[in-house]
Amino acid sequence: MNQKSTVIPSEEEVKTEEDKERKAKPILPRNSLTREDHLEILRQIYLARYFDVRLIKEKRRGRLRGTLYSSQNQEAILVGTLYGLRSDDWISPVHRDMPAFFLKDMRSGWDNPERKGMSIAQVCAQVWGKATAPGRAKDNWSHIGSVPLGIIPSTSMLASTIPVACGVAYDFKLRNHDGVVLTYNGEGSTARGDFHEGLNLAAIHDLAVIVVVENNQWAYGTPVELECPTEDVADRARGYNIPGLVADGQDVLDVYDKTMWCVERARKGLGPSIIECKTYRAFGHGDHDDQRADRYRSKEEIERGRRRDPIAVYKTYLVENGILSEEEAKRYSPEGKHAIQVTDEDFPPEVVEAVRKGVEFAIASPLPEPEEAFKHVFVEE
Amino acid sequence: MSVVAAEETTKVNYLTALRNVLHEEMERFPDMVCIGEDIGILGGAFGVTEGMRDKFGPDRVLDTPISESAIVGMAIGLAMTGRIVMAEMQFIDFISCGFDQIVNNAATMCYRTNGEVPLPIVIRGPSGGYGGGGPYHSQQNEAWFAHSPGLKVVIPSTPSDAAGLLRASLRDPNPVIFYEVKELYRKREIEEPIPPGEWIVPLGKAAIRREGTDLTLISYGNPLYLCLQAAELLQEREGINAEVIDLRTLVPLDKETILNSVKKTNRVVVVNEAPKTCGFAAEVVAIINEHVFEYLDAPVLRVTRADTPVPWVQPLELAVLPSVDKIYDTCIKVAKF
Repeated sequence: MNQKSTVIPSEEEVKTEEDKERKAKPILPRNSLTREDHLEILRQIYLARYFDVRLIKEKRRGRLRGTLYSSQNQEAILVGTLYGLRSDDWISPVHRDMPAFFLKDMRSGWDNPERKGMSIAQVCAQVWGKATAPGRAKDNWSHIGSVPLGIIPSTSMLASTIPVACGVAYDFKLRNHDGVVLTYNGEGSTARGDFHEGLNLAAIHDLAVIVVVENNQWAYGTPVELECPTEDVADRARGYNIPGLVADGQDVLDVYDKTMWCVERARKGLGPSIIECKTYRAFGHGDHDDQRADRYRSKEEIERGRRRDPIAVYKTYLVENGILSEEEAKRYSPEGKHAIQVTDEDFPPEVVEAVRKGVEFAIASPLPEPEEAFKHVFVEE
Repeated sequence: MSVVAAEETTKVNYLTALRNVLHEEMERFPDMVCIGEDIGILGGAFGVTEGMRDKFGPDRVLDTPISESAIVGMAIGLAMTGRIVMAEMQFIDFISCGFDQIVNNAATMCYRTNGEVPLPIVIRGPSGGYGGGGPYHSQQNEAWFAHSPGLKVVIPSTPSDAAGLLRASLRDPNPVIFYEVKELYRKREIEEPIPPGEWIVPLGKAAIRREGTDLTLISYGNPLYLCLQAAELLQEREGINAEVIDLRTLVPLDKETILNSVKKTNRVVVVNEAPKTCGFAAEVVAIINEHVFEYLDAPVLRVTRADTPVPWVQPLELAVLPSVDKIYDTCIKVAKF
């Protein structure tokens, strides 16, 4: 997708002696992944896709309130950044990252109650606006969080989680804890003051903040070139004297490699970094914008942007490396299909089952009582 | 700079009272962190945090870049991890640069997490006019935050209140915007001893600074002293015995003390140095109307700053801010209605 995309950072992305050593290492993070890891990564990508498809269908049936910000075509970024994190790392997803809430620490077992990530049921309860949602659904779809799970609740003011991540990472530093805080941002939010203030602060104090920029080319209706003056959004890193890596956002392993490179660096106390993941927003800004989005972006551009489906890209790798047979790779194939064309048959049954249980939980849950609206403006003692 | 432990007999000024509490709370709570511009090496633009960096180290008394939004955001993150955070705004005017993090993030966090994420943050800074600070060093912008549910708003006007309210604020699990009146920082006339021990003034309790029977003056911060002077003149010249209430905290507001006084005196003037339109004085007037209208013998009037920025040069500044004369004249109007 982008010429600069390589498995390891280029020379100009390498800042310190330690960085040079890390770059020179013959073993890439992906080389430590087992066959089981690869199959799990694929399952998680299917899960993210299926969750989104299911919500699109539910929304079309009129069963959901609010706006759906589809994460389709961007799943490799979520799985690639989250897969290598530890349970005690923190994240801050934003509106287009709904699957991140349950993908966090998924490796500890999808149904493991000790897992440091939300359950699919909790996330569904939030989407359906039910009393069982983490914040009683007082805030909308994408704004949930949990301190015990290490998930910073976001606001609608994008990039505002970066300074908050600095606070969490500063606590890590004071406690000599080698955890990292990974924040998600769109390319548009890099124009905000909080992006600058947060990264500037993080860089001054070598805080373990990893800023993932999902560059899907469009901030609502504004193209990236009207949001950012540099060739790559990652070039903004130069102003903070930190690495700014560019990853192929369609390639889960490229995202994984670069994330792990930045994570290892941050754990050693070498500070923050930016990972720009190049991708393309498959639909409108939100589902309300789907029709209009076809007017401000050409059909050719949209086709080009969707051409490299992350599921297809990963399957090619898995087949080429003998992890999946061609036969197995074809078994479940939602890639390249529009949400309304895919069926449950296109996904592994455990994925369909996991989401089905979550949706059923949400539907069966009660709405919050009106009295809830007046509670917890302040801590109630 | 030596920090003298406050003893009952030692008179301290407003600034020293604040500084001592910060030192004491930092000692008592090893997880507490102070962040802000110039608070460490310099000891604060006004010296409130003097001696703290030496005593507690540069990690716990952190000099931040000039980034109010990052200061508040960082405070939120630190508070999420269970720490008490003091975040200084060098001037309370500069708080506008951190506004979004305060009103959209900190203020709403408890609500949107259903009470799961308390934020024990105190955002404090010097406020107020009368010192020739001009438009950006003289504001009283407390109404912005009183208008944002989820924030507590505190304005002490005496040294012992400064100490007691600051300690209460630091121990409160909610974000508090703490207005320090910079004209009072080193004012000799108000120096007083601070009660010993872990002195606390609870949030939400107003103080009656002068008992009276004929009229109630409601104020806070610097104009409180103008009210007290006006009250003395009213007594001397007109035999009007005015009660003077110091609100101390705007959120939570001590409605009981306000309403009881109105029931007793039946006449009220509300005084603050923020602009008139949508200022907190308007809120006090509305509350009086809602609850005790039948007790009123005259309309409730306000003395506030004019609806202008705060001009720099003295005759202009004093022209727009409340004065003893303006308060006196307004009280006469209400008394003789």
